[in-house]
Amino acid sequence: MLSRVADSLYWMARNLERAENNARALHVQLINMLEANDSEVLDRDWEEVLEITASLADYQSQYPKLKTEEIIHYVAFDSGNVNSLVNCMTYARENARATRDIIPEGVWEGLNRFYLDLPAVRRSEFTIHEIQNFLNTITMTSMTSQGVIESTMTRGVSYSFIKIGKWLERAEKTARILNVICEKARKEKQGSINHHYYWLAALRLVNGYDAYIKEYPPKMNAMHVLHFIIEEERFPRSIRYCVDHVMETIQKLEKGEIHHYSERLFHLLETIQQEVTSFHLEEMSMEELMGFLDHFQNRCIQVSRVFSETYYLIEPVEIK
Amino acid sequence: MLNQYKIDSFFDEMMIQKDQPKPHYEHFYQMLHRFSVEVLHEKNETAQLSFLRKGITFTVYSDSVGTERTMPFDFVPIIIPSQNWHRIERGMKQRVKALNLFLEDIYHDQEIINDGIIPRELVEQNPYYYHEQASGLNIPYQNHIFLAGIDLIRDEHGEYRVLEDNLRNPSGMSYVFQNRYVMRQVYPELFFEHTIETLEHQLSELHQALMTHVPANSLSPEQPCAVLLTPGSYNSAYYDHVFLAQQMGIELVEGRDLLVRNDIVYMKTIRGLKRVDIIYRRIDDDFLDPDAFDPKSVLGVRGLLRAYQKGNVTIVNGIGNGVADDKAMYAYVPDMIRYYLDEEPIIPNVETYFLRDEKERAYVLDHLNELVVKNVGASGGYDMLIGPHAEEEEIAVFREKILEKPGQYIAQPTIKLSRAPAFQGGRFYPCHVDLRVFVMSGADSHVLPGGLSRVALKEGSLVVNSSQGGGGKDTWVLQERGNGHA
Repeated sequence: MLSRVADSLYWMARNLERAENNARALHVQLINMLEANDSEVLDRDWEEVLEITASLADYQSQYPKLKTEEIIHYVAFDSGNVNSLVNCMTYARENARATRDIIPEGVWEGLNRFYLDLPAVRRSEFTIHEIQNFLNTITMTSMTSQGVIESTMTRGVSYSFIKIGKWLERAEKTARILNVICEKARKEKQGSINHHYYWLAALRLVNGYDAYIKEYPPKMNAMHVLHFIIEEERFPRSIRYCVDHVMETIQKLEKGEIHHYSERLFHLLETIQQEVTSFHLEEMSMEELMGFLDHFQNRCIQVSRVFSETYYLIEPVEIK
Repeated sequence: MLNQYKIDSFFDEMMIQKDQPKPHYEHFYQMLHRFSVEVLHEKNETAQLSFLRKGITFTVYSDSVGTERTMPFDFVPIIIPSQNWHRIERGMKQRVKALNLFLEDIYHDQEIINDGIIPRELVEQNPYYYHEQASGLNIPYQNHIFLAGIDLIRDEHGEYRVLEDNLRNPSGMSYVFQNRYVMRQVYPELFFEHTIETLEHQLSELHQALMTHVPANSLSPEQPCAVLLTPGSYNSAYYDHVFLAQQMGIELVEGRDLLVRNDIVYMKTIRGLKRVDIIYRRIDDDFLDPDAFDPKSVLGVRGLLRAYQKGNVTIVNGIGNGVADDKAMYAYVPDMIRYYLDEEPIIPNVETYFLRDEKERAYVLDHLNELVVKNVGASGGYDMLIGPHAEEEEIAVFREKILEKPGQYIAQPTIKLSRAPAFQGGRFYPCHVDLRVFVMSGADSHVLPGGLSRVALKEGSLVVNSSQGGGGKDTWVLQERGNGHA
């Protein structure tokens, strides 16, 4: 497979996953907002959305204050925000367009349809209802694409690159979300990590609430939630699950053999797997936990780089 | 349904007069009457949307902003009876064969020039003549034209004539298949009682033709590695490239995916470098290799030409084909057929005046309001004067242009292009049509049955180019004993 094509597949999956996760962050906040009555709390919540979508510093450099409409616009539509939903979806479509001869027709058609419908979406003076519809469309587009990929693609090289992109993006985002929530918990209540509201939010942000309450009573226990999101090897959005699956996929890609060119990648993934399995939540302070999450995010960036080097990937499709 | 339809003085593909179809359209005409205008309108919308959703688009650039557009589709097919088609088929093979011999000749011994058939300066001053780059090469099967797109029109008597040869990068083949696909999806009923030539094996023909172009030094002549080289997803014909690569099962590569090392072409894969044998390029000569052509090109591959010259890679269509398909050389194609094949052209040209010739120029300048004037180097319907439809000022502008650069222009009589009904906005009206026929050559030569019927959907317009509002139609070649009867 051409390196450029592999690279586009990888970035198509990452951008689509990113759009879905960021859409969810905005969606959760729009619901929370209805319940918040303290404007200070509200501001802080919005700050977290920006943090989760990796846009806080950029936003603050352009806007002096946190204003709801401005933030929604920035996260959803702003073309100057590389992580805005419209940008992520457009990048995903461009990457799909560059690999049309490889991906299932349905994936391309789904992304293309979203793109064609974009001009009809109101980008200012929107109602919350309109925004929620827009977020819902993104989620559905992402999930439908994944469905088509799962149900029609041969489990070969193309499929592997798509899945690796998705899992790496997801692992990194899950760590980021937890980090933001932990930061919040730490600020709120020094030392304690036992606050119902935050952990509920964490579960919703990683789309894990329904799965969680099937395993645990609906009473939010910080230890249970953290364990579930970080270590639960059966939950497909947990850090552990994502890391294991990246490893497994690369092993398949390499037919179980380690060559000189893939040695670094295997070694790095093994190290990370070890770090995740030897992680002991019970013995950790909040600071240590946050340190772990920071470290893991850096590891994700590292994997992405080594992965790209291993398979000679090049820059993602240039967007004009 | 067609009771308001006007034939006028044009040749109509479908109708003899209003309410009376030609025999080979009889079944189609009957079938049409089973639909209400509303249903036809609804189907029409469905068909257009289907192209958009599938992203079967071309990109139009204005002020460097690209907009993706679909080519409008019209469901009234162009139906060609088998005996007509056989003639076209033979005519196209004959023409492409002669053009190929011409290319081989002028890049070698130039006998046609030495024998005084074609003026030397017409070849040597041609901007697409790449003597230095393409002369004296021994290419597989001496074949320069892997895929040709020959544009045919019919005059007011229904006589087919060649309007233009496209021997560089003719596009539009994907539309032939997509038009048929959408037609079958949206209008399945219309196919009843017709036995038409299928398109199903055509892409495997194309693939086979491509794979015969094994370069002399290939290491795997049994299983050569072929790629389609595209300028990228911003190119207006990108969909065509995607479709052909996908259907032929070859990699779709961009210039940055290839590299030349020791005069061997490789593509960059996730497992390292892989040797490439055959390149079906959809990049123009000028941009192929910055070392050999335009040094500013970022689309191409450095060193590609040397690899080609050494026989390490085959590039199709061949380098330097532009000299044979420009509008000035066009007029000599009938002579080429006589010279190389000792045959009379089966499908004639449109009469052409050379403006470099003093007498012909004087005549043309006197009759600008009756003639069509074309820039020999332009395509896509640009820099063109349609005399009978032009304003005084426009004619004046072209008079200046001709006087300034007479060699740059040719003129042709305004042909009364044939028309066919088109259905848009809830009614049928006559539109001018032409037909691009695709000829694929490798070890053998093969003509795709039918081709791309293009239609000028703007009422009265003569320009069928998709960049200027033209649309497409499905083209049906009836099988033997066809004549509409299954």
